[in-house]
Amino acid sequence: MTADPTALGIPEDAMRRLAEMRPGQATSLFTSDLSVNEFLLVREAGFRPLGLVLGSSIYHVGFQLSRWNSNQELTVLSQAMYHARELAMTRMETEADQLGADGIVGVRLEIEFKEFGSDLAEFIAIGTAVTADEPQAPDGQPWRNNQGQPFTSDLSGQDFWTLIQAGYAPLGMVMGSCVYHVAHQRFWQAMGNVGQNVELPQFTQALYDARELAMSRMQAEAERLVAEGIVGVQLRSLGHRWGGHTTEFFAIGTAVRPLRADHVIVKPQLVLPLTDS
Amino acid sequence: MTEWAGRGLPPAAAERMKRFASTGLRTSLLPVPGAVGVQSVGFDPVGEVMGCIVEHIGWSGFGGCGYIGGFGGLGIGGGTLTSSGSPRYVGFGPYVDALYRGYGTALGRMTAEAAAMDADGVVGVRLSMSHLEARSPLEAQLGAGNREFVALGTAVRSRSRHRPGRVFTTDLAGQDVAKLLAAGWVPCAVVYGISVAVRHDDWRTQRQASWGAGNTEVFGYTELVTHVRADARYRFDQQARSAGAEGAIVSSMGLQIGEIEPSENHRDHVAEAGVFGTALVSFHRGSTAPTRSLTILPLR
Repeated sequence: MTADPTALGIPEDAMRRLAEMRPGQATSLFTSDLSVNEFLLVREAGFRPLGLVLGSSIYHVGFQLSRWNSNQELTVLSQAMYHARELAMTRMETEADQLGADGIVGVRLEIEFKEFGSDLAEFIAIGTAVTADEPQAPDGQPWRNNQGQPFTSDLSGQDFWTLIQAGYAPLGMVMGSCVYHVAHQRFWQAMGNVGQNVELPQFTQALYDARELAMSRMQAEAERLVAEGIVGVQLRSLGHRWGGHTTEFFAIGTAVRPLRADHVIVKPQLVLPLTDS
Repeated sequence: MTEWAGRGLPPAAAERMKRFASTGLRTSLLPVPGAVGVQSVGFDPVGEVMGCIVEHIGWSGFGGCGYIGGFGGLGIGGGTLTSSGSPRYVGFGPYVDALYRGYGTALGRMTAEAAAMDADGVVGVRLSMSHLEARSPLEAQLGAGNREFVALGTAVRSRSRHRPGRVFTTDLAGQDVAKLLAAGWVPCAVVYGISVAVRHDDWRTQRQASWGAGNTEVFGYTELVTHVRADARYRFDQQARSAGAEGAIVSSMGLQIGEIEPSENHRDHVAEAGVFGTALVSFHRGSTAPTRSLTILPLR
């Protein structure tokens, strides 16, 4: 921002506008969970925030026994994580739908296990519903995805702006989850490893299987949206409250479709900051 | 020292304002990037300002869940009672009113100091509430103690001919205020929404939350957290709307949920939600913002 503020009427116009405000005067009000940077960049990308949207569910995660010596997916727990996240996301999308939004940006998905009850967790999805200034995307298609739902994206405001500049439109958040139990070693097997540099094949295989399951489920969701790719993928392993050998492998990203054939962005200016952070 | 009746600024604050008026010594709580930020859009830091109130919350409300119950979870009534919607003989309405009075008075005293310094706004407001210890073990057990609400910020004055008519406040940092002003938005007030809701653990809730329930959503708790957050968001909206704002940026949203057992075999859950942020209004007259951002890649 190299323009002179005084020439643009800052802060003169700002103070005049504040003086004109009357309590209770009718305006259209938007709320937003975005940070200031995200708010300004989402506006520059051609979207206006409509409102903060939120969906939540307190879920009881069922109990499943796992066999000590076998690598297995714990399907009851996997289904619980899927179902609970879906409830939270669907409620958030319904709120956005009611606001007439084209999409939801800056989505945060959080899980918090509760101290009371047994195995209770709250699943929350929070985002900011936005509507585009232009009714259609630059390629003539609507901004909503092929399911007729507003698009969702967990990309930050800065990443969202860069994505639009690069000629891609978000379709929706895609997730794959797999709760996996890694087998314990048998006693003599563990003894045999003492002092040795050796690979532990069943641990390796378990982690491979679990991650592949999570990623392939995420890919299947993206294929259903007819996406060209998935960006901003995070692959996390979360222990939650189940102890060391049971872990949820969670892959999440944003599925995108191209708005134009070339994806060249303006070269950024290289600067040398005077601070280290 | 004469007793202060609680109206206007306390004697120590009034003294400080008098001293400031005579010496003109400026102070600031802004860090360097914040100070540079506000100065780049035509504001000068004038002084640090503070508003504070110690409040004794002796009466939180009747607290009940409105459930006329039989044994265990069977009975009539119930549902979620929020502090805004429920009748006054149940729930925690007076507690939320006390919180509103606490935050409101702290912010009001802070803006009074800023007005005494002839400032146009306060940036970087930090709002906090802390518990001071209860005066007796009985008070501690009843949950009624003393709370201190503090609002701290840096008063700024704009280099312009127009005066805004009232002191604007924002919890955003100086750099964020600069970015908003350069894009054609000005913050007008710190806004917040607080709500407390209580819900009885009825038979269905107890069954769904028990260890053998399998994968199931717990409808009762979900309804509780959804209603309390919705009420807090609604009150946040209303406060922003009544200030005449066009938008609001949320800085923090919090939720606490806990269980209470008012009598044998009767369990309720109480949730408290708070939403804090800044209301904004746009001043640029064109359809697009007056400035655009520049993409840079720092060499680090």
